[in-house]
Amino acid sequence: MNRYINLYLLEYSINALLRQKYKNIFITTILTFLIFLLSSMFFITSSIKKELQLSVDSLPEITVQKLISGKHYDIEVKRVDKILQITGVNDAVARVWGYYFFANAGVNFTLVGIEQFEGQYKDSFQSLVDGSEGFDDTKAYIGQGVREIMSRNYYKEYFNFILPDGSFKKIDIGGVFKADTNLESNDVIILSKDNMRSIYGMNEDHATDIVVKVSNHDEIETVAAKIKLLYPDARVITKNDLKVSYENIFDYKSGMFLALFIVSLFTFFIIVYDKASGLSSSERKEIGVLKAIGWSLDDVLKEKFYEGALISVFSYLVGIFMALAFVYIFQAPLLRDIFSGYSELKTAFELPFVFDIQMMVLVFFLSVPIYIAAIIIPSWRAATMDADEVMR
Amino acid sequence: MIKFKNVNKTFKSGRSHTVDALKDIDLSIKEGSVVVLKGASGSGKSSILSLISAISKPTSGEVIVDDKQISKLSDKFSSEYRLNNIGIVFQKYNLVEDITVEQNVILPLIPKNLDSHVVEEKVESVLDMFGIKEYKNSPVKNLSGGEQQRVAIARAYINTPKIIIADEPTANLDEKLSLDFIKIIKDLKGENKTIIIATHDPLFFDLDFVDEYIELKDGCVV
Repeated sequence: MNRYINLYLLEYSINALLRQKYKNIFITTILTFLIFLLSSMFFITSSIKKELQLSVDSLPEITVQKLISGKHYDIEVKRVDKILQITGVNDAVARVWGYYFFANAGVNFTLVGIEQFEGQYKDSFQSLVDGSEGFDDTKAYIGQGVREIMSRNYYKEYFNFILPDGSFKKIDIGGVFKADTNLESNDVIILSKDNMRSIYGMNEDHATDIVVKVSNHDEIETVAAKIKLLYPDARVITKNDLKVSYENIFDYKSGMFLALFIVSLFTFFIIVYDKASGLSSSERKEIGVLKAIGWSLDDVLKEKFYEGALISVFSYLVGIFMALAFVYIFQAPLLRDIFSGYSELKTAFELPFVFDIQMMVLVFFLSVPIYIAAIIIPSWRAATMDADEVMR
Repeated sequence: MIKFKNVNKTFKSGRSHTVDALKDIDLSIKEGSVVVLKGASGSGKSSILSLISAISKPTSGEVIVDDKQISKLSDKFSSEYRLNNIGIVFQKYNLVEDITVEQNVILPLIPKNLDSHVVEEKVESVLDMFGIKEYKNSPVKNLSGGEQQRVAIARAYINTPKIIIADEPTANLDEKLSLDFIKIIKDLKGENKTIIIATHDPLFFDLDFVDEYIELKDGCVV
């Protein structure tokens, strides 16, 4: 009876691998590591891409900053009224925000000021204001990463901000702030605009910048041009400009990953080349004996296919699972710093799980069939020659 | 019936040099007979065995087995022919040393993809027949030369081939083990197998059960 899988042939292949177990363990280890490295890079890339995409989606359509001699200064809040009069503008909000360096932990927090009764320029802020506990403008609402850092430094109930005159401003922590993406919320502290202005020593009639909502996305560039005409001292940044800027940072990081990727592929192809470049005399003789006792070319190739498939599919599965655990359970220590470590002061964020089937298929085709081919091709060459040699 | 009609076999040696291993060979071997090919090393004995087993093809001439011209078979059909008709005992046994006796013996059964109980039955019967049942699970490398040769014979026999060929089967055995091998061959003749042995061992030269001696010299039948 013919079964689909020839179990005796499979057993022979396993034995053939075990006969050179140290060599094959070494190859499997290297192959697994390379697949693990490649998959980890792709998993991290997919996660960061998703985070960035969500972050870009939540960006304002237009941001207006004030520049004096090319340097960024606080902008007058009264400019909001003028901008609101431009046709096509749906809303304009003066933002008060900035970075705050927490020396004890050596990290930067992002401080954002909001007003409870003002229109919010981000859905996550609106959710905070509309939430069951509401927004208390005397308190601070902190991201998960900020909470962890503050807790480690014994700030569990409140935080002391240092004001420009050197005095402290104690603000109670009202709760944890959550947004759609970790990148957006992790290092954020939300405060009232009044508190923000006192922390930054900012005048009440000034803001950090103005964000503008435009109803029709096709009009963003036109509205931006009108604002620029209205305020020649302003830098007008559109969502598309910010997206390009984010992508540039991402591409720069991708370049480093690409370098790692090339090194991995190079190592893999050295193994493949070694395998494909020929068989040892004992391997050739074994093929000759098998052919002499009645094995066909198909049988020999099938046996070699099993050998290659056992090693490469095993390496692939183990490599993928290791990468999943490494990236999504252990949060990719070391590797993730290549991407997120561009600011040493940036607080931690979690890599969101992205099941990228295309990436898995790509890694599969970059490893399994190539390795199997490297095993089969020299065996095919040996098996198509006369088995005559074994008779001498 | 095995027939050679005007068979020549030439090997390339180096870039331009050629060696005539067989020259104008005409011979016929009857079914169920035991034939001993005699001759010094390089006389062409192994080349005849290679041609009978369709491992190699003649440079010219015809090799016919049971009215089939096996010298014209494609690779696929020559493998199938060997699998179903030929059992080979090599001079150096050519066993896979790191696997067990059982795993070696079933090698010719693997391409047939038979049910495990059929394979088990065949293996048990063959190991029993050649007195190596107790070594079933032992790695071949742990066996003596004589035991290894029995494994090689069991492997050649397991597909119950019509033709068994042996190339210098006693070259690595002492006299006692060589006589044991001769006894096995005598027993196989009783099963109506065609047995062709290439040897220059004098122990084979005066055996009552051998039907024909063919002497070769420099690729020609003497």
